[in-house]
Amino acid sequence: MRDEVDASWLALSRLRRRRFKQCIEGCSRILNESPYDQLVWTMKARALTTEVYVDETELEEEGVAEILLDDNAIASMPRPGTSLSNPKSSSSDHALRPVSSSGRPMTGFSRPGSSSRPMSGMSVDQAFKGNRPGTSRPMTTLGREVRLGTASMVNQSGVFIDVEKLNMRKYAARPALAMVLVEYLLHVEVNPRKALELCSEATQKEGFKSWFWKRKLGQCYYKLGLYRDAEKQLRSSLKDGEMLLTYFDLCKVYLKLDIPNTALDLLKKAGESFREESRVIIGIARIYDMLNDLENSSKAYKMVLEYDAGNIEAMACLAANHFYEDGPEVALRYYRRLLQMGVNNTELWNNLGLSCFHSSQFDMALSCFERALALAADDNEGDVWYNIGLVGVGIGDLALAYQAFKIAVSVDGNHAESYCNLGVLDLRKNDFDSAAAMFATAKSLAPFLFEPLYNLALLMFKRGNLEEAYDNVKEALVVFPEHRESLELKKELMGSLVGLR
Amino acid sequence: MNPSHLTTHPLNNTTLRERRNWYIHMCYVRQDYAECLKVVEEELQACNGLCEYPIYVKALIMRHQGKIKESLKFFQAATCLSPHNVLNLKQVARCLFLLGKWLAAVDVYEECQKIGFEDWEIWHNKGLCFMYLKDYDNAIDCFERANDVQRHDATYMQLGKVYQLLEDFKMALRVYKEAIDFSPQNSEILTTLGLMYLSMGENQKAFDHLGNSLAHDPLDAKTIVAAASIIQDNQDMDVALMKYRVAAVKTPNSAQLWNNIGMCFFGKSPQPKYVAAVACLKKALYLDPFEWIISYNLGLVHLKKEQFASAFHFFSSSINLKPDFAATYMYLAITLARLDDFDNSCSAYKKSIDLDPKDSTTRLNYAITLYNNDETEMAQEQFKLFEELFRGGEDDEDVDEEMELQKNMLKQALAAALED
Repeated sequence: MRDEVDASWLALSRLRRRRFKQCIEGCSRILNESPYDQLVWTMKARALTTEVYVDETELEEEGVAEILLDDNAIASMPRPGTSLSNPKSSSSDHALRPVSSSGRPMTGFSRPGSSSRPMSGMSVDQAFKGNRPGTSRPMTTLGREVRLGTASMVNQSGVFIDVEKLNMRKYAARPALAMVLVEYLLHVEVNPRKALELCSEATQKEGFKSWFWKRKLGQCYYKLGLYRDAEKQLRSSLKDGEMLLTYFDLCKVYLKLDIPNTALDLLKKAGESFREESRVIIGIARIYDMLNDLENSSKAYKMVLEYDAGNIEAMACLAANHFYEDGPEVALRYYRRLLQMGVNNTELWNNLGLSCFHSSQFDMALSCFERALALAADDNEGDVWYNIGLVGVGIGDLALAYQAFKIAVSVDGNHAESYCNLGVLDLRKNDFDSAAAMFATAKSLAPFLFEPLYNLALLMFKRGNLEEAYDNVKEALVVFPEHRESLELKKELMGSLVGLR
Repeated sequence: MNPSHLTTHPLNNTTLRERRNWYIHMCYVRQDYAECLKVVEEELQACNGLCEYPIYVKALIMRHQGKIKESLKFFQAATCLSPHNVLNLKQVARCLFLLGKWLAAVDVYEECQKIGFEDWEIWHNKGLCFMYLKDYDNAIDCFERANDVQRHDATYMQLGKVYQLLEDFKMALRVYKEAIDFSPQNSEILTTLGLMYLSMGENQKAFDHLGNSLAHDPLDAKTIVAAASIIQDNQDMDVALMKYRVAAVKTPNSAQLWNNIGMCFFGKSPQPKYVAAVACLKKALYLDPFEWIISYNLGLVHLKKEQFASAFHFFSSSINLKPDFAATYMYLAITLARLDDFDNSCSAYKKSIDLDPKDSTTRLNYAITLYNNDETEMAQEQFKLFEELFRGGEDDEDVDEEMELQKNMLKQALAAALED
């Protein structure tokens, strides 16, 4: 029976049903017999492209090279609040809200891109460590694209399109084929140079009037790192046809150029044309988050929820904001809603447990943590045990706390926060040497935390070793310049060093 | 004028060595360390490192930058060049002291004393070393000798601290009083003295001194919190809150401050603000989870709001952190009684009475709990004990109205029960 079905029809049907592998196999077979069948060729290209398609509107991972050698930023010494590397000096307080490895306050949603970007200069060491030292490899230059690209190459037996031999002018004359081809070049071949060639031919053919080709040109320039050219093309594409996706592309360009306020204005303008579009608002919220403007980002997240009541990212971020602003009860409601949405992972149960604990629902808290542990994988089990330790401290059961932190450290050898707290517990037991060792470990694992630095400085000060105390308090102030206690300690140390007293 | 362009006349070696000391000194005093170091280096090269003053200044600058070990090396070099200069030796000792090598520092200071004249600084620093070595008697001796030579606020402060470490509060108080006589405008001493009085329960005197201190330094957070807590004790919550607001700007993350603010809201007399109180106390607890009194206060607020399960939780965590505070056990017992756990409630009362047998409130509450659980005879017994204690303590001016009321009610109830 099968043989009687028309092979091209079958391939088309498989493409529609997203059975890409089978579709590609079928197409290859037909193309072996008749290599000039344009329909089948188009289908195969579409199938290959869709298989590896990356949503261009999403933020992207940044590679080590991009973090270290980023010279695209327009201003080298930006004013506070106008750049991602110099956001508003912390509107939230380190002491009340923990920070991620990049020195930004924790948001409720882990996302690629600027969440891993350091606030101020980053050393090569830090860049290679990645987000959580020891658990993740750093991204290589092109982030996820290269990996996907190479993977698809392996699947492919023989070369489907020999890019070097393509006659771009010929293809540009056939818009339908060209559109498929450009996507193929961008996503499968990851060859923006060739794609650019095709785009420029095609846009010429269209008389510089087609928004599609201008947008693609912009994308090609973006991939080639020619951000100003990309901006020009995308702007002009928006004039020919106002498309939401073009706005997102342009927004990405502005973020690369490190002018977040322009990106914000752009998204706001997009919001005027595309009302009730939650993706625009969430883009706004993300940028506010990057700028540490939690007040405005919360507002935006709330608006997202008005249009899209099931948006997980907005809910998670709002929950985290409420949690750190003394509203664990409200946070609890958001987390419960997330649970109803079908999110079921360690992090959520862990957060539920913490919110329960802080809103005095002790019976629920521990069972939440149990669930979190049951679901935990190697990379987040340490966090759960750490939080159990915090609960132990909260109920005054320091033995439980000590054990929980110990487990956290044994599960995740890089859990700096646990080391720091173990040090504090050691201090309470008057075991100063061990405490100092713990703080030193925490400090080497997570130089972005001010707590171990300050604790170590204070401990050294009390033990009379002023040199180390001074060094550490200086480092603490680099991480958290407004920390009052550190400032006070430094003042006192200076007094001793200068010898006026 | 740039001294490097000074024309140099052929001079003998000593003057050559010292000829730019004035400039080095000037740079150092102006805190122009970069220029200073530059000149020092030039000078060191010119004299093959055999010049005392540049080395000395370089060491001082090193120490300012926190490089104590290097600084020690240079001071030692300076000492080698001129072994009888007390200044060098003093600095060597100071470096040793800063590095935490107190015994070595004491030795060097003794060396200094062999050479030099009577110097308060040597005695003072020696005292500090002894203090760190926990040799308090020697420390006291040294500080007193320092004061004999010349009186200084710093010495008084340290002396008072030693007495406080020895828990000899009378002597500490005397020292601080002497210090105040000597320098009546030092806000730090005033604050310390105020805090001493506060811990001794003499609120009025404490308040006087703290107020005095605030007159000299109106923005010191520690003093403000201490003064406001006295105002709070006198039930003037709004004024206390105003004071806390000033302090909160300076130390926004102080657990003690938030604890006091919370209790202010709790204690507001016509309408206590429970939600605000709980919010502030929770913030305090978030900032310092090891502070037992915050848990204790949270327990009190929850008990008052009749949320007994939460109250129990906070009292129990407070007990975990500080197991020897009698009042916590009493409140825990009351909470347990309200949670219908009579047996555990009784053992909590007993524990509280063990810790503080003289507290009449515990006895009264125990009696009430016993009576409520139909243990009339035992209740009668506790009530008698209570009345004895209560009569004994009746001279105190602060007899609670509510306590009086409860006492009378229980008395009647017990009398009625015994008649049956």
